[in-house]
Amino acid sequence: MLSGIKKRFGGVRALRDVNLEVRAGEVHALLGENGAGKSTLIKILSGVHALDNGTIEIAGKPVEFDSPAKSREAGIAVVYQDLSLVESLSVADNLLLGREPRAAFGFVRQRALMARAEAFLKELGIPLDTRATVGSLPFAYRQMTEIAKALMGEVRLLILDEPTSSLTSDEVRILFDAIGKATRRGVGVIYVTHRLNEVFEISQRVTVLRDGANAGTFVTADTDMKRLVNAIIGTDRSASIVSRNEPAPKRDLDPSPVLSLSDVSNDRLRAVDLSVSKGEIHGLAGLIGSGRTEILETVFGLRPIESGAIEIEGRRWLPTGPSDAIEQGVALVPEDRHVQGLVLDHSIERNITLPRIPHFSRWGWMQQRAAARRAESAVARLAVKAQGASSLVRTLSGGNQQKVVFGKWNDPRPRVLLLDEPTVGVDVGAREEIYAVIRNAARDGSGVLVVSSDLVELIELCDRISVIVDGRVARTLSRGEIDDAEELHHLLQMYQASGPGHLQGLPA
Amino acid sequence: MTELTAPSVVASSTRSDRRRKILQNLLRGERPYMLYIAFVILLVVFSLSSPWFLSVDNFLNIGRQTTLVSIIAIGMTFIIISRQIDLSVASTLALSGMAAALAMSQINNSWIVGAVAGLGTGALVGLINGILTTQLSIPSFLVTLGSLSMARGLAMMVTNTKPVIITNETYFAIFGEGTFLGIPVPIAWTLAAMIVGILLLHYNVFGRRIYAVGGNPTAALYSGINTKRITTAAFVLTGTLAGLAALVLSARSHAARPDVVQGMELDVIAAVILGGCSLFGGRGYILGTLFGSLIIGTLNNGLVLLGVSSPMQLVIKGAIIVAAVAFTKR
Repeated sequence: MLSGIKKRFGGVRALRDVNLEVRAGEVHALLGENGAGKSTLIKILSGVHALDNGTIEIAGKPVEFDSPAKSREAGIAVVYQDLSLVESLSVADNLLLGREPRAAFGFVRQRALMARAEAFLKELGIPLDTRATVGSLPFAYRQMTEIAKALMGEVRLLILDEPTSSLTSDEVRILFDAIGKATRRGVGVIYVTHRLNEVFEISQRVTVLRDGANAGTFVTADTDMKRLVNAIIGTDRSASIVSRNEPAPKRDLDPSPVLSLSDVSNDRLRAVDLSVSKGEIHGLAGLIGSGRTEILETVFGLRPIESGAIEIEGRRWLPTGPSDAIEQGVALVPEDRHVQGLVLDHSIERNITLPRIPHFSRWGWMQQRAAARRAESAVARLAVKAQGASSLVRTLSGGNQQKVVFGKWNDPRPRVLLLDEPTVGVDVGAREEIYAVIRNAARDGSGVLVVSSDLVELIELCDRISVIVDGRVARTLSRGEIDDAEELHHLLQMYQASGPGHLQGLPA
Repeated sequence: MTELTAPSVVASSTRSDRRRKILQNLLRGERPYMLYIAFVILLVVFSLSSPWFLSVDNFLNIGRQTTLVSIIAIGMTFIIISRQIDLSVASTLALSGMAAALAMSQINNSWIVGAVAGLGTGALVGLINGILTTQLSIPSFLVTLGSLSMARGLAMMVTNTKPVIITNETYFAIFGEGTFLGIPVPIAWTLAAMIVGILLLHYNVFGRRIYAVGGNPTAALYSGINTKRITTAAFVLTGTLAGLAALVLSARSHAARPDVVQGMELDVIAAVILGGCSLFGGRGYILGTLFGSLIIGTLNNGLVLLGVSSPMQLVIKGAIIVAAVAFTKR
């Protein structure tokens, strides 16, 4: 379908002779680190960017687009990471936005609209309530609405850009089912992801981009994880990544808890008991909505406690708000770095110094040089790839943005480091670097509490893992009790399926 | 793993470097030079078309006429950077002026009492605006739309819409008619407000927090910043500056009137936006605001000198403001 694509931005050659062929009914995975050219390629296909060279063919016919509308007309639909839905409207309204069934004088035929939306969702097999307001839906269902919307009309090529980055494993199932239904209708799918296991699960072929060029196209069934990783990062750097599936070694920890929660309850938590030792990395596993994020928010003072007690290094403490938590040495790397973690239009320096402004001031006046020095050293230590600490955070890649969020809490070392999905939307290379940052923090004595939907990540990082179900800790597992993501996945499903309280005595 | 070593940038702080940094601090903005170019173009056009425009006296005139807008716009810069808006500033000015004049007439005819009453009333209106906005989570557009009306109503109620005469000579000298180091005091007060604004916004902890709150309120909250207190402080600052403007105006006219400067909030907001502030928050700078209000003042002055009819002045002014914003925005 695509051949010899070239694209330049100024002096930068973003794409060099990229060839990509997607067959009807095929799921074609597209892999590559951030900056490898995936987004540029998508933008060319969706008509946002024009191409400098090369051709695009659909069903053998060369096409040219100069706008997203033209690309859509040619049958290409893109589902972006940031969704394009109207949150105040219902699912049905969103699906048929701009092509509502109309009566005379432009009145909308509401019943026909509902019926069409329902019939369409049924055909796709997507379990969505057409009447629900999009804004009230969990993120995963919004994403499904988005995909359903993309599939309305004459679609020949569907492009999914990291569709699973914020989905739980069950939701990923539903998504894959929906994709399967689409391919059975003869739609070709380009599936962009950072998660290699998904590639093996869903795609028939894989194309890897590196530095704007093809680093190989593989038939999925004939390749393996190691070969793909080699293609993604280039052979010289693969050594540390392949060890990804090995768990952290068992360590002897200082048993004194730096953070402990006993019987903590509030609107979302029910009698949570949890402790994190000095130097421990403690994982929280659970589905979205299970209360794992809420545990972090409660410790950070964002959710008031109704009963129970929190202790920091053995002293009782009632968090009153983020500034109180920060004063106690608690730090949070939040789930959504764009919304909660960073001021995108400000420099790296401004972002890094934000939580500790008083430390860089005397009598209320900023000591700008001290702040700049500190930011420069954090940039160097965390290996943030940027021109300098005065670069705007918006211009950085996802992994580097996440390093900046870590940089906010790097110095002085926090007693308790709370991490919520620390590697979402981060490419393979940067992920390893972030793991190193987390391990260093633990080695320096921070107690780390990490929430992640990526079970492999939890197995690889954590000394202990607590399974969270319905706002309570269903079980805490030590290293040695569980060493395998597959096993953890089964356990999670079991607890979820049987509800809290019933499985307390069962072995893993 | 060669790519892991980051380009380490060592901060060298030579003197020229520092001077450039200060200049950047003052002139920052997306395309700040556009603003200055627009101002210069305006000066050239008026100088060529009116023989009276290009003179020291006339420039002092422009300075004096823009005083009120400039002083308040400095506060409004903080508010707009923190993603809020204050529509009540003109009414706050009127109410503060009445408070100052009445307090003086009641207590010893003392200029100090007048100044404290004027500034205090302005600060109080700002505090109420800030508290309603942050504690009740009412959008500041609505809160200040309400206080615009209420403050004006109160100003008229206290004397049944009659002006209050001021007789204190010291008051006139300090706020309206004297000179300070050879500079007419209204201009001196503007410069003082500007310097305080620059220090607060660009060199103080408060300014950093204002930018963070406007740039991303959630991230600011998650970084331990008391976003409500910072936002409220911006309203108090603006109210206080509206109080200062009230002192200047009443000292110049030897009286406080409840019906003054109606609609001036629009000039103030226009000056701030013209000066490069983003209505979406997180961006803006004091010197830009000052040039924004100078552009508006120069327009007013130049159009009068050219003998343009006052309805036509309004049309031209509006068009130029829209054109200038279109021209200077990113």
